[in-house]
Amino acid sequence: MKKVLITGITSGLGQLVTRKLLRRQRGYQISGVDRTAWEGRPRGVSLTITDLRKRRFEDVIRRERPEVIIHIGSVRHFKGHPALRHEVNVGATKRLLDFSLSHGVKHVIIWSSSYVYGALPENPYYMDESFPLNSSRTYPEMRDLAEMDMLATAYLWRSPDITITVLRPVNVLGYHVHSAIGRYLRNGRVPTVMGFNPIMQFIHEDDVAEALVLAIECQTRGVFNLVGPGAVPLHVAIRETGSQKLPLPESLARPVINQLFRWGVYPFPPRAIDFAKYQCTLDGTRFREATGFTPRFSLAETFAAVRA
Amino acid sequence: MRAPVESLDARRRARQRTAGAPTRRTAPVRALPLPPPLPPAPRTASATPGELFAEGLRELWRQVNPDVISTTSEEVAARLRRIPTQLNEYGNDPWGFDVDVMRRALVFTTLLYRKWFRVETHGIENVPDGRVLVIGNHAGQIALDAAMIGTATVLEREPPRILRAMGEYWLPTVPFVNLLMTRTGSVVGTPKNCIDLLNQEEAVMAFPEGIRGMNKLFSERYRLQRFGFGFMRLALATRTPIVPVAVVGSEEQAPAIANLKGLARLLGLPALPITLTFPLLGPLGLVPLPSKYRISFGKPLRFEGNPDDEDAVIEKKVMKVVDTIQGMLDRGLRERAGIFF
Repeated sequence: MKKVLITGITSGLGQLVTRKLLRRQRGYQISGVDRTAWEGRPRGVSLTITDLRKRRFEDVIRRERPEVIIHIGSVRHFKGHPALRHEVNVGATKRLLDFSLSHGVKHVIIWSSSYVYGALPENPYYMDESFPLNSSRTYPEMRDLAEMDMLATAYLWRSPDITITVLRPVNVLGYHVHSAIGRYLRNGRVPTVMGFNPIMQFIHEDDVAEALVLAIECQTRGVFNLVGPGAVPLHVAIRETGSQKLPLPESLARPVINQLFRWGVYPFPPRAIDFAKYQCTLDGTRFREATGFTPRFSLAETFAAVRA
Repeated sequence: MRAPVESLDARRRARQRTAGAPTRRTAPVRALPLPPPLPPAPRTASATPGELFAEGLRELWRQVNPDVISTTSEEVAARLRRIPTQLNEYGNDPWGFDVDVMRRALVFTTLLYRKWFRVETHGIENVPDGRVLVIGNHAGQIALDAAMIGTATVLEREPPRILRAMGEYWLPTVPFVNLLMTRTGSVVGTPKNCIDLLNQEEAVMAFPEGIRGMNKLFSERYRLQRFGFGFMRLALATRTPIVPVAVVGSEEQAPAIANLKGLARLLGLPALPITLTFPLLGPLGLVPLPSKYRISFGKPLRFEGNPDDEDAVIEKKVMKVVDTIQGMLDRGLRERAGIFF
């Protein structure tokens, strides 16, 4: 029995990973931490309701003595104060890594994002893991994710007796997972920038959960891009998820989205527009070679999961 | 309402019958003799570029009709089908190439290739199979030379190949232009893109002169500008043969008399050339002059060595490519009969 602690277990992805781990032949004992309750959770899964920033979180690690921590509890929305994102994503991750070191956790998986690379015009098509994290140049609201990622990478080199896996998945789509891209594509009328149609990579939520399980089982150490079945232009993704594009000239889109974001009507800050202009596509070879991961869901099935 | 009309008509016919002859008598008019056909416009070197330009426009108008477009489209589609690509279920390859956009773009460039620039291509058999770097001279203010080289390898080579052009870093920021660039198989010219493409045995086209070559003044025509070294390091690292290509005719399509660098920087453009027609004629000034293109592909050059050598070592190898292309250019200039034909 391997003891696994999942932060943010109540989220769509947390639930998927939990169920996937429980179905494995080799047994896992799963405990979770989240801020909300999970009604109807599988038997044997213990849940502690607390905030990662609270003292009680250390108590959970002390009590459960997990071997593996999957850290997917981070703030990805922009509804709160910017300081909230930083406190949770950077501050709480640092505490989690420190506790892991002091309480003998063997393996920590950090759930990062492909957005940390940023969408820049000169991005190559297939960025590997050594590519600089440029998100701060065009999209400073996402800086805390890059900081979290780099913090974990620093621990990775500093402490050789703990295995740290940093996963940078491309756009996750699915029925259960609430991802930024899912929210964007489900808008109905999706604002795009006129004259731009970048290539985007997608991955199905179930493949993502599978990849997290593989990361535990293969004890992969290091930073990995997680790439799905392929890439299509943004407009194809909009069409295939059953939405319609709303092309706006950039000079109009920026001020309008800026104002709507300030009023809290539109969920993404204006600088996020760059992701609808330039590609941020990754090279997933390293993870594939380390774990033998191959996505089971095709692009068509991935888009269908959003329409469902 | 019908009856009175009918009766009026009947009355008119009855009147004509009684008259028995046309009521109006006019003197018979003799048809004017047709003027003798005009002799075809003399196509001599003495014709001014303006006249030739107008003639070219008329010729294009005569040639471009739906029939020509549909037959060209079929021909291009047949050749594109013979090119192996890794398309996914939505018709895109991993580099953003879209076969449908490519076909439509090729119809346009094929007409330009055959009717406007009347391209003569030599040595197309020198483009080998497998990975290859096609290195050429860059000129003509807009990158039509790249389009013509790329069209040549699709139309003339057996089997046809798509060239992946390495674009300026500035191009992805231009609306619509970035789409045209990526959907037709070009990518932004970063070393990573080039290495990835070559490792997948693609043909990559690059112009190491970049903007320096493309936006040089007419007085500098056919004189190669400083070459970047990056292409040579990548060729050494990936063991890729280099095919030199020389384009003669591109310099005359838009002779630049000035380049307003200061204003260009202010507008965020890489260059702002003043040509004979631009900005004098506004957007119409972007239409290139119909100079005759001569494209020649040289024998593949193979280089050995450490890709991380000092610049001085790399420079010697680069200079060999530069000298080859310059030699091909000089020969092409000596041998051509005229600029526009």
